[in-house]
Amino acid sequence: MTLRVLVVEDDREIRALIQSSLSVEGFEVQTAVSMSEASALLRHDPPDVIVLDLGLPDGDGVQLVHEVRKHNAVPIIVVSARHQETQKILLLDAGADDYLTKPFSVGELLARIRVSLRHRGTSLAAAVTVHELDDLRIDLASHVVKRNSEVLHLTPTEFKLLARLVRSAGRVVTHRQLLTDVWGPEFTEHTHYLRLYMAQLRAKIERDPAEPRHLLTETGVGYRLAVA
Amino acid sequence: MNFHPVSDASHHPVRNWIVVALLLAAATTCGFLLDRYVSLTSQAMIYVLAVVIAAYKLDWIESAICAVGAVTALNFFFVPPRWTFEVENQEHFIGLGTMLVVALVISRLATGVRRESEIARLNENRARQLQALASDLSNITVSEEVLVLGQRALDAAFVGPCSLILTQDGRKLEHADGLATAVQDGLRCCMAEAAVLGPGTGRWPGLDAWYLPLGDKGHVTGAVCVESAFANDASGLEHAKALCALLAQALWRLRLTSSMLSAQSEAQRQQLQSTFLAAISHDLRTPLAAIVGAASALQTQRDKLSLSEQERLLGSIVSEASYLSTVTENTLQLMSLTSSAQQLRRDWESLEEIVGAVLARVRQRDPDRRIKSTVPEDLPLVKADPVLLAQLIGNLLDNALKYSDGAIDLTLNLEGQAIVVSVEDRGPGIPEAEQEAIFEPYSRSDQSGQRGAGLGLALCRAIAQAHGGQLKLRPRTGGGSVFDFTVPVDVQQPGKELA
Repeated sequence: MTLRVLVVEDDREIRALIQSSLSVEGFEVQTAVSMSEASALLRHDPPDVIVLDLGLPDGDGVQLVHEVRKHNAVPIIVVSARHQETQKILLLDAGADDYLTKPFSVGELLARIRVSLRHRGTSLAAAVTVHELDDLRIDLASHVVKRNSEVLHLTPTEFKLLARLVRSAGRVVTHRQLLTDVWGPEFTEHTHYLRLYMAQLRAKIERDPAEPRHLLTETGVGYRLAVA
Repeated sequence: MNFHPVSDASHHPVRNWIVVALLLAAATTCGFLLDRYVSLTSQAMIYVLAVVIAAYKLDWIESAICAVGAVTALNFFFVPPRWTFEVENQEHFIGLGTMLVVALVISRLATGVRRESEIARLNENRARQLQALASDLSNITVSEEVLVLGQRALDAAFVGPCSLILTQDGRKLEHADGLATAVQDGLRCCMAEAAVLGPGTGRWPGLDAWYLPLGDKGHVTGAVCVESAFANDASGLEHAKALCALLAQALWRLRLTSSMLSAQSEAQRQQLQSTFLAAISHDLRTPLAAIVGAASALQTQRDKLSLSEQERLLGSIVSEASYLSTVTENTLQLMSLTSSAQQLRRDWESLEEIVGAVLARVRQRDPDRRIKSTVPEDLPLVKADPVLLAQLIGNLLDNALKYSDGAIDLTLNLEGQAIVVSVEDRGPGIPEAEQEAIFEPYSRSDQSGQRGAGLGLALCRAIAQAHGGQLKLRPRTGGGSVFDFTVPVDVQQPGKELA
């Protein structure tokens, strides 16, 4: 089955570039140049992945994300310039799956799409419970975290935090999402909890905590558990 | 402190008459008590004393009545034949007459003296008020303070009520909703004419209030209304004018200062913009030329180029384009930082984490892992904008990779109440004369055509300063340069009171 991607991007060159790169990889690509065109296409025939550019002429995208999330769990990847941090976080919190900062390479875009497709429909399918990369193995069901087959002892909060990242492995999880899911909705402003606990987790999991392999920082946005 | 021109005495006529009666009664009582021991002359003196006291304390009419009363009482009670108004002796007639005249003269004199001293005191108070207001006004920075100080001074100086209203354009009154229409009209009219209106001014003498503009024609910044004004109170009018002159001066000074500041910042902005333009035109043109050259070569001569040649051209397009993107990023960021419109998005951040994220990005350009990082454990958190700090550290590392060949050391250290991020290279180093200039937005001195960091270091310094930190360059012992970025650490670290 061919996977279908909807690319919402108002710049003709970038739209054409994404379209040709994705077509080469075997995707069926639809394009939209505005929010309104995108919502029309979505109502008519929902795709498997949406690549959404920020800063379209007719809207900020948050509404589109809300609209999509009402009906289905199709992965949404946000494309933004670096200075659009706040808006990007808004979209991620609203339910977008991941983001890419312009300028990005085609390779990065494909990797993000692959990760998001792997997570597609996780709300229905059995949740990811085992994560393995290099020397690290995390088994959520049996609460076991191993590095080089050596069992690591994590505090309950550390494990909760790690488990949340495992469930979204490969995707960025915003500070707000982590704080809400691990500590509770009233702790969304306590980002220093995250700094302190991530440091503890890295000290236990990473070979070189100062240059992490697994627990990656998305500066100003959130964290990501590496999958490759 | 009372600045009001009318004395308290005249406000209480009934009390004054009681005082007259009491003085006469006291003098009479004294006269009777001393009757056996003293002569009629001394008794007369007691009455004179009462008249003098009355003259000093009370108004002219009251003291005159007191004098007449004193003579009458002396005649009735003490001048023989006593208990009648008759006068037996011609000598006593002369005595009584003289006493009446003396009493009246003293009363007249005393009233005069009192009025003069009252006026002197009033003038002194007014002078003191002007002085105090002038010194208060010299420290203010916003026109709202002028409004408060002015209103307070007017209320203290006049019975009022007084109103003080400011204007921006000389016509429209600001916050005048609470005022009566007549007052608003008067204020507007005196601002339009830039002249004082009201009793004693020659203009609109029928009004019962003075209307004074703040400032001269063409520079009117507001107006004042002093109600309950009298045509004969010339000194009061002068005082009102003096107060208004002070207020107008202060307002005008504020206006000049603000327009001067905006002119200054406009000039700075323009200078910055022209520097940026120079920077952009140089830093963007060169890579663009390289990209266009490589791309057009691929477009027109692809068949003739070897595969490795094609590969090289493609690689140059990618690297030039990514350089362009860095330059653009830095330029935009520096512009928004220096225009001060941007608020830093500060949060509790771990420098170790930021350095880790930067390294993950920079390693793509550092395949040989020339950068060696040393990060001590348990560094305190800093309140910072993580995106900007990452950009700063990333720029320093990019520069070090570009301008040096050997190993690069990235070290974090806690020094007192600050974390120092040091980037040390073994490059050619920077001549001492240029060590400050490289932080200026695009003042790179070498004209060799070598592409520079452009705005990179200017941005780095701007970011450091925006965080209350510093970015400094020093030569490295044994050759090379060291960039030290110091970021202050809050003494109050966030608590770890976690569930």
